[in-house]
Amino acid sequence: MGWTTTLLENGIWFGFAAMGFAVLFNVPVRTLFYIWLLGALGGMTKLALLHFGQGIIIASLSGSTLIGLFSIAVAHRKHSPPLIFAIPAVIPMVPGILAYRMILGLIALAGDLQPDLYMKMLTETANNGLKVLFVLMSLAGGVAIPMLITRKESAKELKLILKHHGTEM
Amino acid sequence: MEQEIKKEMKDIANMLLEVGTLLMSAGANTGRIRNTVTRIAETFGYNTELLITQRALTLTISDEENNLYFDILKRTPTHTVNFSIVSGISLMSWRIVEEKWTVHQINTELDRLTTLPHFPRFIILPLVALAGAAFCRLAGGTAPDMIITFIATFVGLFIRQEATKMRFNFYLCVYFAALTASLIAAGLSLMMGWGHLQEHAFATSVLFLIPGVPLINSFSDMIDGNLQNGIIRGLNGFIISFAIALGLLTAKFIYQL
Repeated sequence: MGWTTTLLENGIWFGFAAMGFAVLFNVPVRTLFYIWLLGALGGMTKLALLHFGQGIIIASLSGSTLIGLFSIAVAHRKHSPPLIFAIPAVIPMVPGILAYRMILGLIALAGDLQPDLYMKMLTETANNGLKVLFVLMSLAGGVAIPMLITRKESAKELKLILKHHGTEM
Repeated sequence: MEQEIKKEMKDIANMLLEVGTLLMSAGANTGRIRNTVTRIAETFGYNTELLITQRALTLTISDEENNLYFDILKRTPTHTVNFSIVSGISLMSWRIVEEKWTVHQINTELDRLTTLPHFPRFIILPLVALAGAAFCRLAGGTAPDMIITFIATFVGLFIRQEATKMRFNFYLCVYFAALTASLIAAGLSLMMGWGHLQEHAFATSVLFLIPGVPLINSFSDMIDGNLQNGIIRGLNGFIISFAIALGLLTAKFIYQL
């Protein structure tokens, strides 16, 4: 199986993970399909960057920024605030396995280990923990950055300005 | 005359706080709450000052011309993420500006929004379970792992819903759900004869509990300058994560893994 097939398959799973959270957060039904699509696009962006040798932090930041940008465009079409699309769509990128290993590592560090093993565990746990921290921050940042750059308090105002200049999105 | 204006101010203030507390409990960030309340108040020609916290909102509404002020405080209902309400109030706030709604109209719309039906349970449970299986696949799990995660998430979420109905402490509900899901995930992978723990299934079975809304709202509040609310939301997300971790560890202890 080529890596593009794997990428597409994982895109589908990213979409379903996003949709599960959307249902849990009780989003309006009209937004469900777009949340699936945004989740899949963001996740595939992340995986593609990882495939081309980028780190997990930059890959997650790119994926979530893409979701943040598209969520503004979709917000106009579906008349819902951007965060309703963006929050469920970025959640599948949360590094669950890394967080799990970090927690196990922290518990192990609280116990009595041999000094050699302790150093090894400390290095691994610090590495996993910092990755989790920075990935979470870049997920939240990616969602917020597009709204900050447009310097508007609401996606609706953005639409009014675009209309005024005659460039409907 | 003054009595009439006072009555009107009081009605508007009550309605504004209803909007604000609903948004807070449904999972909107602080900036959005402030913008929405201010936007609605301005269409009625009043100035408002707001103090927004996690558990209560304070509002001062003023009419500079007549030198009238009115203060009011309202507790926030229990926090349960509900994006239909956030979306509905956002739409409504623009219609109020464009169509000049009355307070009565707004209150009727708020009643309608709060009684809107949720997704039925038989849709939520399988879809969230499918999301769990998707997480498992993305973490590198195979088909049997995905089935285990599906079942674990399904039952875990069911336990969480039941625990919430029984009015247990919120963090305790998360702990029960995490414990159930990880017990099932570990139990199934041991039963199926692999003889060892399937890490993918075990770790991803609790991911449906991750506090996405508190953590993302924490960040967006902080960069917006609402540091206090940001810290409180972040701490809330941290305690939820801790409850999840505790559930996992209890399951590991029970199976002596």
